[in-house]
Amino acid sequence: MPLLEREGLLDVVAGLLAQAGDGSGSLVLVAGEAGSGKTSLAREIRARAESRVLAMEGACDPLTTPRPLSPLVDIAADPEAGLDDLFDAETALDVFARVLDRLRTTIRPILLVIEDIHWADEGTLDFLRFVGRRVADTKAVVLCTFRDDEIGPDHPLRMVIGDLVPRATTHRLKVEALSIQAVEALLGESEFNATELHRLTGGNAFFVTEVLATASSLPESVQDAVLARTGRLSHEARKVVNAVSIAPRSLSVDLAHALSGAEPADVDEAVISGVLVQTNGDLRFRHELARSSVEDSLPPAQRLADHRRMIALLQEEETADLARLAHHATRAENGELVVELAPQAALQAESRGSYREAAAWYRSALEYSDLVEPDQAARWRIALGRSYRVLDQQLDALREQEMAVDHFRQTGATVDLANALVAVSTTRWSLSHLVEGRAAVDEAIGLLEPLGESSDLAHAWYCAGYHWMLARRRDESKDALEEASRIALAVEDEETGRLVDYIFGTTEVVMGDARKGISILEETYKKATNVGDEFLRIGALGMLGSGGGEVRLYQPAIDALNHAIEIASSHDLDSGVSYDWAWLARIHFEQGLWDQAVYYAERVMSGPPGRGVISPVTALGALGRVRVRRGDPGARQALEEALRIGASCEMQHIWSPLCGLAELAWLQGSTDEIPPILGDIFERALATDSPWARGEVGFWMWKAGAIDSPPDDAAEPFALQISGSWRQAADVWREIGCPYEVALALADGDEDSMLEAVAIFDSLGARPASQWLRSRLRDLGAQSIPRGPTEQTRSNPAGLTTRQVEVLGLMTLGLTNSEIAEKLFISKKTVEHHVSAIYGKLGVTTRAKAIAWAGESGAEK
Amino acid sequence: MSLRGPIDTFEIEPEIPVRKEKAAMPRYMVERTFPEGLEIPSTSDGLKACLGVVDKNGSEQVTWVRSFVTDDHGKTFCIYDGPSPEAIRRAAGLSGLPVDSISEISVLDPYFYVGGAA
Repeated sequence: MPLLEREGLLDVVAGLLAQAGDGSGSLVLVAGEAGSGKTSLAREIRARAESRVLAMEGACDPLTTPRPLSPLVDIAADPEAGLDDLFDAETALDVFARVLDRLRTTIRPILLVIEDIHWADEGTLDFLRFVGRRVADTKAVVLCTFRDDEIGPDHPLRMVIGDLVPRATTHRLKVEALSIQAVEALLGESEFNATELHRLTGGNAFFVTEVLATASSLPESVQDAVLARTGRLSHEARKVVNAVSIAPRSLSVDLAHALSGAEPADVDEAVISGVLVQTNGDLRFRHELARSSVEDSLPPAQRLADHRRMIALLQEEETADLARLAHHATRAENGELVVELAPQAALQAESRGSYREAAAWYRSALEYSDLVEPDQAARWRIALGRSYRVLDQQLDALREQEMAVDHFRQTGATVDLANALVAVSTTRWSLSHLVEGRAAVDEAIGLLEPLGESSDLAHAWYCAGYHWMLARRRDESKDALEEASRIALAVEDEETGRLVDYIFGTTEVVMGDARKGISILEETYKKATNVGDEFLRIGALGMLGSGGGEVRLYQPAIDALNHAIEIASSHDLDSGVSYDWAWLARIHFEQGLWDQAVYYAERVMSGPPGRGVISPVTALGALGRVRVRRGDPGARQALEEALRIGASCEMQHIWSPLCGLAELAWLQGSTDEIPPILGDIFERALATDSPWARGEVGFWMWKAGAIDSPPDDAAEPFALQISGSWRQAADVWREIGCPYEVALALADGDEDSMLEAVAIFDSLGARPASQWLRSRLRDLGAQSIPRGPTEQTRSNPAGLTTRQVEVLGLMTLGLTNSEIAEKLFISKKTVEHHVSAIYGKLGVTTRAKAIAWAGESGAEK
Repeated sequence: MSLRGPIDTFEIEPEIPVRKEKAAMPRYMVERTFPEGLEIPSTSDGLKACLGVVDKNGSEQVTWVRSFVTDDHGKTFCIYDGPSPEAIRRAAGLSGLPVDSISEISVLDPYFYVGGAA
């Protein structure tokens, strides 16, 4: 049957294949409802390209829990693809890299088709992100089909699509329903009325062709149409059809024979009638809709029996696929088999990074938990909890872990109970339930100590140390970590030893000798790199970033954060990077680089939702404080939103936004509002060992007249200013790199220093502070106050904004506008606007002249 | 699509959810100072300049509503709809326009309360 109304789409893809031949690859996302003809389109593309193109095909399965990397498994099995050793690779990332390499080094252009990505498992989604971001310099067209009407707003595929669509190398095609004219053309000699048929089928290609095949009268639904067609087969042939219907995608002819007991002639009849299609040794339906229509129509008892027989048959085949077997086991309600296979499938999924699938498999196993030892079921719950934690579903994790705790309490299994309690405590800390977390880990330690030194005990002490670090209690943290370190050494547990160093380094940074802490963390990073511990690598960088940021050691913090972001994006590990972006926002705010701070904050706020509260709290806090200092609207809203989201967070996450509200009150002349705002956090800060919290909160309390001397152990520049040593304070702030704080300190000085402060405020665009200081100067009778503030950009003669300086810098490196857009995560159009603004400000008309100007003036870094 | 019932017509929702709804956008007043005085000739060049501003604003979802200019062309008061004050600043940067201050505003005119309105 010829394809109708698809010429436009076919032309687009043909063009992309030609480009691929020239070394310019692309990703094509083909959307359409079920039965609209996406697969037929893919087939037609392949047919038209003939042997000019090397075609590879893989598909995602509608299994109850998908098989990890299913389409890649299909491709590896294809001898023509040249990827037989694909799964010899060690990690999922290596697998992806090998595929990418094949797409780059091929001689003929490659058409890689992946069908039904709405059923994709997590590993496949990672693959799509990986390849979609790097397809530009391959010689391939990666074409994916999916049902856009089946992906709801929370579907994981949406995030992947959202990530890939803005790229120039991604193309979206839609396979539309057929028009009435097309239906008419398909009717040919048939007696049906085209308009009626079109109304009934909605122009759905599959449905139209099914109806035309049955030919007698208009059916009511897809299922009726399909069953009408199968109903005309002989009893024997129908048995074959039923057998094929219970397999998730296709069934080998041999298995179909074995399951149905039918003869080759029956199989032929089913194929000739068009109900089944045979490719090589496999039978399948023309469409998933047909398959599910038939499977759903089977009487339940028969369906169960068929699934059970299928299991028996698959087990005779030695190469039976684990996920497929487990799928049938679940559908066959074969509990024994499920509890045997599902946990294995879960481990397989974990090793492939598919935690959503791993969680689903553990849940399947737990449905039959009465068939196994209760201890085993409890351990599954802890494993399930681990998967949930990776997916950031903390409440679900807590529920499973607490059930495990309850069970082990009853059985009195001490070590299991202790480990379960430790698991609970880490989840509690992710939820900011500090009190409950502490109670759990204390109980765990109490249970393990009498049993002597062990890895479990070392790990429990480590968790206690982590907790105290989060609570900003220096001595308690160090004591716990020392104990953990001692025991880890005694039992030669190097992994726990590294974790201890990581938290000990962090403790030093935020509560002790910051530079010493930084070098400990840098050492930990190196060790983690050497042993290939990815989580610890990124963890160490994260702590360098947030810890260094908290104590205002900006350079090592910025380097670490950028490095962490780079590693995460080259590994496509996007979760957890939000907090790094958020800290870049806060650091740039403190450095007076407000355009950049806004950019980073907006990145966090426009990212995936529901990934933990500390990122939006930090990002909104930075955004709100920028608005306070600029005098822009929305300052209070942003800060109050941050504090609302962070209501149950530890002190270190909320002291800055609270100081923002205090600063706002001060700038508006309402200093009496400050003690109510800060009273509570001030007490909390004094109860911890955090010098910078004591310093900054103490500073604003002092401005409000609530205290008259610096708190003990407050950070140096704040302590100096509160004590009246404003000039020294300004010097320290200059060294740290906080221009606004320099100006605040100078504002406490004599007329000359106040004038210097006004100039600094003006250059930052800090309108409220500038106006306040000017009016103070006027009140003091000062003479030479400069004229009103004018828009200036810091230390930049041409008046380029920080963003424009960034763009110009990348232009001098020879990047094209598209490459600049990709690098800065903005649209190409925005880059073009910046470029033309740059030309305008520099008074040039060509790129070369702009780059030459940059070279001469050395204005940008 | 239901397997059992008749085919319903239904809406296919757009793939990427629209993040900001136009209706909810705040309105801002931007004050600008032009030390040299703002000159927009009433020629096709002037038209081009104004339309250029409109176009650049679009990339930040910012809409230029209207501006008021002082007699000496030294100050303008410009009304914009936009998602945030930062978008206003970026849009201004794209067109090379100075920003003295931004305020969020709503409308009040003499007849606002007539007839028990609002």
